[in-house]
Order: sequence, then structure tokens, then C-alpha cells
Amino acid sequence: MHKTLIIAKWEYLEKIKTKAFVLSLVVTPLIIILFSVLPALLSQKEDMRTKVIGVVDTSGVFFNGLQKELEEYRIDNNQPNYVLINLSGRNKNLAELKSKADKDVLDKAIEGYMLILNAGTDSLKVDYRSEKIGSFKDLKIFNEKINKLRVQHELRAKGLNPEVADILQNNVEINLIKIEKSGEDGRPDFMVVFFSSFIFILLLMMMVIYSGQMLVRSLIEEKSNRIIEILISSCKPEELLAGKILGLSALGLTQILIWSLIAVALIGGAVIPPSAFENILPMLLYFILGFLFYTTIFVGVGSIVNTEQEAQQFTTYISLLLILPVVFTMPAIENPDSLLIKILTYIPLTSPSIMLLRLKIAPVPLSDIIITLAIISTSTLVMIKIAAKIFRIGILSYGTKPSLKELIQWIKEK
Amino acid sequence: MLIVENLVKKFNNTTAVNNISFVVKPGTIFGLLGPNGAGKTTTIRTILNIIKPTSGKILFNDSVITDEFFNIIGYLPEERGLYRKSKVIDTIIYFAELKNLSRQTAVQKADKWLKKLSIGEYRERKLEELSKGNQQKVQFITSVIHDPQLMIFDEPFAGFDPINQQEIKDLIFSFRSEGKIIILSTHQMDTAERLCSEIFLINKGKEVRSGTLTKIRNEFGTRHIKLEFKGDGTFIKTLPEVAAFDNYGNYAEIKLKDDVNPSAFLRKIVGEIDVYRFSVVEPTLNQIFIDLIKKDK
Repeated sequence: MHKTLIIAKWEYLEKIKTKAFVLSLVVTPLIIILFSVLPALLSQKEDMRTKVIGVVDTSGVFFNGLQKELEEYRIDNNQPNYVLINLSGRNKNLAELKSKADKDVLDKAIEGYMLILNAGTDSLKVDYRSEKIGSFKDLKIFNEKINKLRVQHELRAKGLNPEVADILQNNVEINLIKIEKSGEDGRPDFMVVFFSSFIFILLLMMMVIYSGQMLVRSLIEEKSNRIIEILISSCKPEELLAGKILGLSALGLTQILIWSLIAVALIGGAVIPPSAFENILPMLLYFILGFLFYTTIFVGVGSIVNTEQEAQQFTTYISLLLILPVVFTMPAIENPDSLLIKILTYIPLTSPSIMLLRLKIAPVPLSDIIITLAIISTSTLVMIKIAAKIFRIGILSYGTKPSLKELIQWIKEK
Repeated sequence: MLIVENLVKKFNNTTAVNNISFVVKPGTIFGLLGPNGAGKTTTIRTILNIIKPTSGKILFNDSVITDEFFNIIGYLPEERGLYRKSKVIDTIIYFAELKNLSRQTAVQKADKWLKKLSIGEYRERKLEELSKGNQQKVQFITSVIHDPQLMIFDEPFAGFDPINQQEIKDLIFSFRSEGKIIILSTHQMDTAERLCSEIFLINKGKEVRSGTLTKIRNEFGTRHIKLEFKGDGTFIKTLPEVAAFDNYGNYAEIKLKDDVNPSAFLRKIVGEIDVYRFSVVEPTLNQIFIDLIKKDK
């Protein structure tokens, strides 16, 4: 135990001092911020200017209404967001109007134009023609307004009050309330449930992949420069194994802690719903056990490969297995009682992340918690035994990768 | 005292070590010699308890080697390597702590050793910034800092210049006079010849010869001649009296057959070539090694 701690301390302190660690500490959040904030900033900036939009409407039904409806959209200095120009000249046929408008777009005289055909009939067709195809926000607004005007027009044609259109467009959304205790409202927000369960799986994944790869890399390094021989002539392989797992897990934890702190500092703690911390105790258990289970798999892999390239093949597959539950997040939230989810709950590889998910979605029976915890801890113990055996022999075998038959022999060896 | 008794180690179908036995007494340097792949490393790893023997016994001071022995064993592996990015002092302390030294003692001893091997100025430097020879010195320190009773050096002189080699040699001698049990594995026969009190020659996992150097020399025969000459000496090889002939250009080493009288042999060749020097010498360990391993094939 004493030597395990010495090894853990060494692994932790030596790795935390490396440039790579410090770099990843800063660079990763920076990249995430860049990816999440930059697009939002850019699209916001896009909105901060007045756009000139053409309208080709030979019937003349929509232009005035559209102009009025779009007036409510303003940018910062109270300038209008959209300025409409009527491009429907009297003496030109449609083909000419179209080619002239297209030219205007290409000449950047206008942002784009709406081509309204067959207005006032059942076969109304509207195109928005522009150089840019990414203006979803504009399109959504135009869509809404055109439809409102269309309904108003038809109501008027039938001699009805056009204000009915407003009533028709006022939709009522149904709120989803989760019942846990009678008379108390649960969290209604689907997104909150989704993300708060998602974030734990994501953290688990990140930690496993990060620490696991560190572990494999450190094993390969010690194997290739033969430090391993000095190490195992100084302590038991199990002590070395435990020390490495302990030290590198602490490292992974440190990293995630710092990242979380950065995240909280940036977004503010208020954003995290208190519900995210519900069931925190069993969740932590699943988190730790799941982490241990996966890490020992990484150790087994690290002891049989000789180069980082070889390791990459294995670690990629293991990481994929970890990501698998993410695919099931949606179906699990939609239907936590489905057979598939039940089955995945009892498979050690997927159990931790699926349980993290289930604990968030719906109340999980205590029996399920006990059974799954037993399954994961037993398989973790078995995996540690197997990994230690592979480790003991594998770390001294250089050169070729062992065959499956040899591996089984190693595991059987006393 | 280290006793290895009928040691056998099999890997799947191959037998790496085939029934070898030897004893190493305190205060002696035991030379474990053999060509590449002879089974030296496997033998050493079994003694270190890194791998378990298939059969046979290894006793240290009359008890079986267990995990308890980690702290009294010092091992310098043949292929060197340390954490390149770590500081010299940190590395030494880490390995010392792994051998159960307290941090305080570890620091004290580390400083003592760094000074002793005159690399004190590199204390705070990273390993990768050191020359190869100085890195080797650091590794040597890590293998002896805990004052182990059993020391195993695998090619301890590789990578050292002659001055440093001498320094390490002197250290190993001082360990011997302190009564340590020392196993030295090497290809450098001249070094083994000068250092080792006893030799164990291993090939293909089996013992080829063992015992003191004198004993092995006697067994091997003493009819060795060192000859300096001028002229075409190639005919010597074909003479019936000659068992082996190694021409080194400036001189030649000749092994005579057992019943040949060196004086008679000299008389025979002196008419054919100009002999500057003719001496009957003891065979070098190198000759014995090459000869025995060749015979074993």
C-alpha cells in the first residue's frame, strides 16, 4: 500500500508538471469556448445590419402587408432590420423580372428577394432567392409572416374578419411535468434533464479516455525504455498497477475539476439547475466504478502493446464502447422502461453510463441500483485480476503482440 | 549467500533456462557470461522474482525469495532508460523511496552519490539534458542507493568512457569488499576476467562451464602461443600441430593440440617466417568463450 502511494504521487506530480498537461488545461476550454461562442457572435453580428430584401409579387397582394409586418424587427440603433423594395414593375413579364432581380442579388444591390407566384390562389408558391443559403432566421420570419398574410387574405376573400388569423397563429404549448411526489411538480424542462444526465456521461467519458490514454502511454513509455524492469524489481505488479491508476485518475479528476471551475466562472453557477445534483451519491458510485472498470481495461491493453500506434487501435474501440450509451440517451429519455435499456443496464460495459442516465430520467427501483452496483463492482474486481495478470507477463514481453490463446494462457497462469 | 538450484524456466514450447545451479557467496563477484539469447536475462529475472521459475529453487540466505526481498535487491538492467523529462534528483528519490528509503534518507544519499560520481551540478536538471554517460551514472545510482545486499549488474560498463568505466569498476570492487553478493552479466570478456572471482558460462539455457577462472583455464588447456612475426604465416593454419589459429595482423594467437611441445613447434616454423616474439600464454577468457560457444553449436 505504501509503495502504491509513492507511485501514485510520482505519476501525479510528474504528469501535472508537463507542458502537455498545462496546455490541455487551457487549450481545451479555449477551443470549446471558441466553438460555442464564436458562431453565436458571428450570427449576431450578421443581424446587426439592415438587409435590403426585394419582393417580386406580380399580383401585388402581399407587398404592403409584408412591409408592415416586417417593420417590427429592429436592430440596435432602432434602424429597421429589413427594408423591402418592390421589384414588380408593370411592363415586364415574369422571366425578365426574375433575371433582373437575380442580377441585383449577384451585384449585391439586394440581400435576396422573395418570388411570390400565383398569389391569391390555392397554388401559392413562394421562393426566397439569395446567394446565401444559411439565412435560416430570416427565412423563418418570412415564412411566418407570409403565412399570416395568406390566411388574412383568404379570410377577407371569404368575407370573414382577418383578425381571426392572429387567433389561429396563437398556439398553446403543452408543458410536460414529471411526477415524483404527489402534489409536487417535477422538472418540466426536457432539455435540463437531457443535459444534466448527458453531462455526467460526458464527464465520465472524457475522464476515462483522458486518464486511460495517459495510462497506456505511460506503460508504453516505461516498457520501451525498460524502466518497467526496475519498477517491478522494486514492488509488486499489483502495487504498480494500483499506483498508476490512482495517480492518473487523480490527474484526470484535477483536470475535469479545473475545467468545471472555468465553466462555472464563465457561465456562472446559476445556469446549473439544482436538479443536476439530485441522486448525486449513487451517481458518484456509478461514476467511480465505471471509471475503474474502464481504466483496468486500458491497463490490460497497455500491457500487451508495444507502440502507441498499436495502442491507438485498441483504445479507439474501447472509447467507442463508452460513447455507445450516448446514442441511447434519446430513446432512454423517451422510454426508460424499454427492453433494450433494461438489457444495457445489466451489461458491465454500458451499465455505468446507462444508470447515470436512468437516475436522471425516472425513479429507479432500489433493487435495480443494488443489482447493477453488484454487477459493476464484481466485474471490476474480475477485470482488475485479469488486467494484473496480463500486466505481470505482458509488460515483460517485447516484440510481437500475444495471440488470444497466449493471452488466455497468461490469465490462467498462477 | 545466493543459491540457485536446478532452475528451469519454460516459455510455451521453448526452454529459456534448462536446469542450472550455482552459488554466489558474499564478497564475490559472480560473472554470468554467455552469448545473446543464452538465458542470462531470464535467469536474472527469476532471481529478481520478476518471473516465476517453472521448477527449481532460488534461496537467499537460506530462505525463498519473496516480495519481501525487493528492498535488498539492486538491479541495473542491460537496456537503460529513465524518465527523460524528470529531474535527476526527483528520479533518484523516487526509486529510492520505492526501495523503502524514507524521503529524508533518500535525499541525503542521493546528494552523497551525485557528489561521489561528480555529477552534483546536474541535480536539478532534466535527465534528457544530460550526456549519455551521465544518464548512465544516474541509473547506476538508482540501483545501489538503498545499499542492497544483492546486486545484479547487466552490462554495467556499456556506454561509459574508459575513465568512467574505471570509476564504476572501483565502485563494484568496493561493494565486493563490503561483502555484497554481486552478479555481473557481460559480453566484455576482458572485464569479466579482471573482475570476477567466479564465472558461469551459459549457452542455450544450459551451463557450459563454471568455477573460478583458474579452474576454467586449466580445464581448457594452456597450450596457447602468442606469436609476432613477419612473412606469410598462412601455412601455420594447415600444420597438424595447430588446433586453432587467429591472425590479428600484428600478431597471431595459436592454440596447439594437447600433445604438442611448444619448443618443437617453434623450431618447425622459425625456418619459414621471421619470428620476433614467441610466448606461451594463458588463454584469455575471450578465447575460451568463443571456443566453447563454437563447440556447443
